[in-house]
Amino acid sequence: MHTMETIVVLFVFFILLIMGFIFYVRVAQSNIGTEQEEARQLKAIEIAQRAMFLPEIQCSEENIISNNCIDYLKLVAASEIIKQNELYYYDKLGFSNITITQIYPNPKNWTLYDKSLEEYQDKIITNIPISIFDPREKKNSFGVMKVEYFRTKE
Amino acid sequence: MKNKKGQMEIMGLAIVIMLLIVGMLFVVRFVITKEPEGYKKEFTQSQLASNMLNTLLKTNTDCPDLTITELLQDCGHNPDNPAITCSNNGKKSCQFVEDTAKYIFNQTLDEWNINYHFTVYFEEDNPIIELGSTCPNDQKTEIFPIPSYTTLFTRLDICG
Repeated sequence: MHTMETIVVLFVFFILLIMGFIFYVRVAQSNIGTEQEEARQLKAIEIAQRAMFLPEIQCSEENIISNNCIDYLKLVAASEIIKQNELYYYDKLGFSNITITQIYPNPKNWTLYDKSLEEYQDKIITNIPISIFDPREKKNSFGVMKVEYFRTKE
Repeated sequence: MKNKKGQMEIMGLAIVIMLLIVGMLFVVRFVITKEPEGYKKEFTQSQLASNMLNTLLKTNTDCPDLTITELLQDCGHNPDNPAITCSNNGKKSCQFVEDTAKYIFNQTLDEWNINYHFTVYFEEDNPIIELGSTCPNDQKTEIFPIPSYTTLFTRLDICG
């Protein structure tokens, strides 16, 4: 009789232990997913920030950098330079696509960096309003820098 | 006596299981259903309001090469009858700024499905220019003062 009781108690104990373990694994998986999503968002922000502050395109006057501004002439030159040195910029910008669109006064479009993935799990798009300064005419236009960060398929 | 002891044991077991269930519910509520931190949203909103307004005010228009800030300064001197009339389309400075801002917001914030409220005012209750609609809940606000007849304020709220 006592042996039977012990067996039942042990059985219930192990069932509870297994349930607890399954529950713990689920919680751990969920936490990992949340942390991965947060890390991905931070990476997208990092790339957007890097693109915004690339010295290759930033406006400057007498070595003083103007924030939130792209030099039109540098932009045209940098698009070509970045294309020729893709590996160097891949280390900085990863799998992303960076385009700059002039919205006002005359709509125009430039691709600064393109390492898009054809097959990807998802992508995070960050739009940053930015001034495009033409140093020849000393005029600012309203533009948007669009940074698309791709997440590779797992 | 033996019966009573058995009942007490079952009671104890029930209490232990109840506590376990409450503990699990607690974990489910605060750990499993925890949303990932919206770093991207936070960053975008805070950057957007300030960059948008900053860039907009610096922009040179095709109304004789003046910036939006300069046109707003003129508009602020006499909102009912501004001195500057754009030669290309005959619009007064206030109307020109309003139309330009509307175009830019239409091409950006509206395209990205972001609600906003843009106002230009001396007194907050009586705006000279107003675009978009007031935010119902959270918002990121940026205010830029512009020196004019008295200080003119431009304000952009990005709704959360």
